[in-house]
Amino acid sequence: MDDIESGHLQELRRGTVVLACLLILRTADYGYALLERLAAAGLAVDGNTLYPLLRRLEKQELVTSEWNTDEARPRKFYRTSRAGETLAARLMQDWSDLTRTLTDIDKGNTK
Amino acid sequence: MTTTLTDRYVWAVQRSLPEKQRADIDQELRGAIADTVDSKIDSGTDPVAAEREVIVELGDPYRLAAGYADRPLHLVGPKVFPDYIRLLKVLYAIVLPIVFVAILLGQLLGQPDSFWGAFGSTIGAIITVAVHLGFWTTLVFALIERSPEYKATAWNPDTLPQLPTRGAIKLSDAVASGVWFVSIVGGLIWAQYFSLFRDADGEVVPVFDPALGVWLAYFLVLAAFELGFRVLLYRERRWTFPLAAVNLVGHLAFAIPFLWLLLNSSLMNPEFLARADIAPLFERDGVVTIIVLIVALAGSAGSAIEGFVKAGRAAREPR
Repeated sequence: MDDIESGHLQELRRGTVVLACLLILRTADYGYALLERLAAAGLAVDGNTLYPLLRRLEKQELVTSEWNTDEARPRKFYRTSRAGETLAARLMQDWSDLTRTLTDIDKGNTK
Repeated sequence: MTTTLTDRYVWAVQRSLPEKQRADIDQELRGAIADTVDSKIDSGTDPVAAEREVIVELGDPYRLAAGYADRPLHLVGPKVFPDYIRLLKVLYAIVLPIVFVAILLGQLLGQPDSFWGAFGSTIGAIITVAVHLGFWTTLVFALIERSPEYKATAWNPDTLPQLPTRGAIKLSDAVASGVWFVSIVGGLIWAQYFSLFRDADGEVVPVFDPALGVWLAYFLVLAAFELGFRVLLYRERRWTFPLAAVNLVGHLAFAIPFLWLLLNSSLMNPEFLARADIAPLFERDGVVTIIVLIVALAGSAGSAIEGFVKAGRAAREPR
């Protein structure tokens, strides 16, 4: 894949990471597990992007966090908040609108 | 307990984080690194190599910390860059010429040992001023970039520059000629009546040969003629062939006697050259003579030709 193509693909996928995180974190999880779940779902994200992103979402109160110290390795679990849930619904709506719009344009259905 | 690569990496990250974020991120980052290393070991990588790989993937600790702290990785970013570059241009265009003239004048009025010494220290001072202007402007904008309250100035279409009109004479040309005329007259008066040096009797040593006498007056009249011509040109708004011819005659009237005087070494005052210790430069084959010769010839020829070219262009365009 050449640089131009990968650049545009990256640009297109950028905002979807946030949406995917909000959807997945409806069941609480910690950073590395989220990274694996995203990768398994086909959305590979680098750790150095995802971990700061989780902090940002927490600061914006879209996710809540809680330390789990039951296991040997303490882990910070994130969970989508009510506000995060609302935003995710709004983003999903926009995503499907965009899909419809682009499909229409592709098929030449626009006036 | 030995220090691991992870210890050093996490320490490097949290060092540039705000105090209250440190402990939390420290612990979470350690956990994340350990989880990733474990999964690499599970898939058959050697433990030491695995730890190294994971840390390489996380990348520069300063960059990661900037991500956590939501801090820009640039000094002056796209939000303020247009204002920044505009201000720098204005500052350099206005401040540097003023400072140059002011420092040079100050140096010359202080009776320096030689003109070139004064010129050299002026250039040095100008470079210092330019570096300071650049540094402090950049510093202020780097701080503005980091202040969340700053809103970039709303861009207004009225600030767009006018399109340059082809062949039209701009007011700035006429003004520039006026400034040029005043500085020539002022420079000549200063050179002949104030100069840099005084002789043993306290008399002024003029820069130009006092024997020039009438020639000096002739060049002053020519400078006045040039000024009048530029005003006329501005009123006409465009070059015409008669104006181009007058321009050519004017340049010939200047260049022929000027170059003749220059090549006969009768332009400068020998006493002045001796005092300033720059006489060799002004000999017939001296560096300054040759440079002045080339500049005067090229300047006069260029301006004379420009008149005809622009007249030709203006004649082809509808008025």
